[in-house]
Amino acid sequence: MFDFSIVTNWIHEWLLSLMPEGWAIFVECVAVGIGIILLYALLAIILIFMERKVCAAFQCRLGPTRVGPWGTIQVICDVLKMLTKEIFTPKGVDKKLYNLAPYMILLASFLTFACLPVSKGLEVLDFNVGIFFLLAASSIGVVGILLAGWSSNNKFSIIGAMRSGAQIISYELSAGMAILTMVVLAGTMQISEMVSGQASGWLIFTGHIPALIAFVIYLIAGNAECNRGPFDLPEAESELTAGYHTEYSGMGFGFFYLAEYLNLFIVAAIAATVFLGGWMPLHIPGLDGFNTVMDYIPGFVWYFGKAFFVVFLMMWMRWSFPRLRIDQILALEWKYLVPISMVNLLLMAVIVTLGWHF
Amino acid sequence: MNNNNYFGTLFDGLRSLGTGLKTTMKEFFTKKITEQYPENRKELHISERFRGTLTMPHNEANEHQCIACGLCQNACPNGTIRVVSEMVETEDGKKKKQLVRYEYNLGSCIFCQLCTNACPHDAIAFSNEFENAVFDRSKLILTLNKPGSKVAAKKS
Amino acid sequence: MNQETLHIASAELLAKMKQLKEVEKMDYLRSLTGMDWGTPEENDTQETMRGLGVVYHLESTSTGKRICVKTSTLDREHPHLPSVCHLWKGAELPEREVYDFFGIIFTGHPDMRRLFLREDWVGFPFRKDNNPEAENPLRMTNEETIDTTYIYKEEANGTLSRTERKLFEDDEYVINIGPQHPATHGVLRFRASLVGEEINKIDVHCGYIHRGIEKMNESLTYPQTLALTDRLDYLSAMQSRHALCMCIEQAMGVEVSDRVKVIRTIMDELQRIDSHILFFACLCQDMGATTAFLYGFRDREKILDILEETCGGRLIINYNTIGGVQADLHPNFVKRVKELIPYLRKNIQEYHDIFTGNIIAQQRLKGTGVLSREDAIAFGATGGTGRASGWACDVRKRLPYAAYDRVDFKEIVYTEGDCFARYMVRLDEIEQSLRIIEQLIDNIPEGSIQEKMKPIIRLPEGSWYTAVESSRGEFGVYLESRGDKSPYRLHYRSTGLPLVAVVDSLTRGAKIADLIAIGGTLDYIVPDIDR
Repeated sequence: MFDFSIVTNWIHEWLLSLMPEGWAIFVECVAVGIGIILLYALLAIILIFMERKVCAAFQCRLGPTRVGPWGTIQVICDVLKMLTKEIFTPKGVDKKLYNLAPYMILLASFLTFACLPVSKGLEVLDFNVGIFFLLAASSIGVVGILLAGWSSNNKFSIIGAMRSGAQIISYELSAGMAILTMVVLAGTMQISEMVSGQASGWLIFTGHIPALIAFVIYLIAGNAECNRGPFDLPEAESELTAGYHTEYSGMGFGFFYLAEYLNLFIVAAIAATVFLGGWMPLHIPGLDGFNTVMDYIPGFVWYFGKAFFVVFLMMWMRWSFPRLRIDQILALEWKYLVPISMVNLLLMAVIVTLGWHF
Repeated sequence: MNNNNYFGTLFDGLRSLGTGLKTTMKEFFTKKITEQYPENRKELHISERFRGTLTMPHNEANEHQCIACGLCQNACPNGTIRVVSEMVETEDGKKKKQLVRYEYNLGSCIFCQLCTNACPHDAIAFSNEFENAVFDRSKLILTLNKPGSKVAAKKS
Repeated sequence: MNQETLHIASAELLAKMKQLKEVEKMDYLRSLTGMDWGTPEENDTQETMRGLGVVYHLESTSTGKRICVKTSTLDREHPHLPSVCHLWKGAELPEREVYDFFGIIFTGHPDMRRLFLREDWVGFPFRKDNNPEAENPLRMTNEETIDTTYIYKEEANGTLSRTERKLFEDDEYVINIGPQHPATHGVLRFRASLVGEEINKIDVHCGYIHRGIEKMNESLTYPQTLALTDRLDYLSAMQSRHALCMCIEQAMGVEVSDRVKVIRTIMDELQRIDSHILFFACLCQDMGATTAFLYGFRDREKILDILEETCGGRLIINYNTIGGVQADLHPNFVKRVKELIPYLRKNIQEYHDIFTGNIIAQQRLKGTGVLSREDAIAFGATGGTGRASGWACDVRKRLPYAAYDRVDFKEIVYTEGDCFARYMVRLDEIEQSLRIIEQLIDNIPEGSIQEKMKPIIRLPEGSWYTAVESSRGEFGVYLESRGDKSPYRLHYRSTGLPLVAVVDSLTRGAKIADLIAIGGTLDYIVPDIDR
């Protein structure tokens, strides 16, 4: 497997030969930042296109077909449209918070995005409590949603924001616990070590039953954290028009939209990292020929492949189910998911202690 | 809540969700029903009775059947039709009403068919033409009789 | 029709109505129609009704007895009649409608506001001596929402006094749902007072697409009035038009051929299936199951194609005419309908798979918005809503018309009265409609499709009421003729108005999300409410 740290180290050496170390690190930070933003935008476009095509297929439709071959340019045009729209501030809003809110959401998803190990040696943020940082960073997003709802001076927005607050804070618990279960199995919180620990087998296979349960719980909680159906009631179209971002136009709305899809990707990517082995290729013990072939596929292909597979699973869920009601959402979390994931965590601890995993 | 009930609802619920997922996955692979209009204009099937717009059929000799009696104009609930006629003297000296202009406002037509029902000579009929969009409302006021057309001679 | 008509003076109305309700068990107010019979003339006989008045159609759900009550007041300056909405809750909105159109004040009515027209409307357009266009230019200002209403009381000396009533207190958290809102199915507006997520109270505002169809009818000829029925409840276009045709035919004493009766029955049922599938689709959409929405629309398309082939229209169908139908069945009709039946049966199973059985849908629908049988009758909430509450109110069974007396079908009745029952009634009715079509499609008798009619249709003097079972309840036509070529008064019993009237009582204590489920399962259509 190709190690990207060779490339990054080489770039670092080259920069050091040109300038003092402080400057070199600064240049690298800027370069990495731009890289992340570009990847972020690109992924959002791909995801939105994917969502439109996948949901169309579930609904016996074709989806976008007109702009570009198979409608591929459609989303780019939509982005351009969004960029050219007028940004207005409605009467009576709390201007400072109203303008801040989209950036808060974007900030949270950027920070989380930076943690993702795309390929071997391509981790931007990687330190010993990586998973912990990731969970903490992702929960900043809810502040943005609450700010947006509060500052908009709109009754629908505030109801949407309050629903969202209750929902995201609740579901963070079971998402966190599902990941914790896997941390128990992996024995580390550092993301790169977690991935490299899966070289012999992905955690979802080595951890068998509790890992599978944790995966399902994580998918459900992850869907809820992204405010996606069947948990899309903060922006329930048929009840609250657009929920917390009702009053945003142009790029203000665009940022929410962007963050929503990127959060979807981030949730899927974390699932791919923690459960499905990150950039590790699929290895079947005993089939050496097969394993070598798999090794030739680059790590980032594996990584994105797995992440998009999980994204597809989440889209499948979204486009199959009706929306829950707020009390049912909370009942599902507190009566079912939290107890189950607690028992599951205990089960995993027992299994790890007794060495019953593969 | 007893335990049986708790797990019972949980598993029933999961099963019902599974049925839903199975249904959508089945549709994922079935043939799509999107009609790709306007690319499929050629094979587009429109039933012949579809009421798209009012027309006045003309034969090869540029003759129509309208005798300008105005029954359609009276039958119309919306004032959509205006029949402009003039009195002309025929060769044998009789005065006869003749159609000058048959004005039809597509924009206010409610396609109730009272005009075609009222017409004693089947001079007007609804056609399938449905692509009626125009950029200016005034373009919706159509003149149905073609320039230079005249009434077909009565078949005896 | 063997229907008794009572003329009651306004002073005795309340006592007599109370007696009808309590002794004769006339618990269902079918229709309430405002009337302007004009000023007294010299050659009036004892029976001639004059003045501003109301026509009540009552029915007993236990004995099946029907009665028509007419009352009027000669006072045109301050006309007032006693309100009957404490006897029949369903009278509340129709009485507001009568106030709106005729200016009759109902004493004792808890909420005497206009229903359809703007608050700043001048005059009462349905009075024969009123010229609405002269006094009401197109207003370019916004209509103010007023939070107060009045209750009128008749004093001992015959004058009226009024007390003010507040609809919403100043400290209530009132949100505005509609008129442009995806879940109100058209331009209906709710003002909901919330406590957290829970709804405290709802005030319904109608009239955003009031087109004055009833008023327009008074200047149209009878064939022309038919053109407007398709535009009331557009998902019951066939049935509404059927009702008006039947009413006019009944007044003229025309009997349509057997073939026409069977064709009308089949078309009505196709329309009903169409409407119920759309109901399913829209309910799913409201509940967030967008995929099921498109499945519904996919199947509805097949029905529309069949209707289009024979009738030439999809939504505005224009098929029934006075004394017949517009065109004979298309040669493909029978074949395509036979193909449709198994196709729909297969796909309804899919609906059950994706939505009915789904735990989320069940949790949201079961037990929410329970309407009791008593309330359903008191409000006159007919159709699927009434049947879901255990009230067997199907007009096709109560007063069979067309070919319904010769087909075998089950009247679907559930007793739960909740959203899930209302949903299931409609899905089960699709199957019953398919059965009706199956029985008739091979036995369409030969015969003429159009009775011979005079070029200008005039009805004799008199009044008639005809009802059909439209896709969402009893659709009634009240027609009063003075012998002219246009009706003196043509009133439609809206199927949706009682359904909107129950929204407030169903949503008390429910959540906002429940309002969407309740509204979706009540299945009202706004053009039919506003007319």
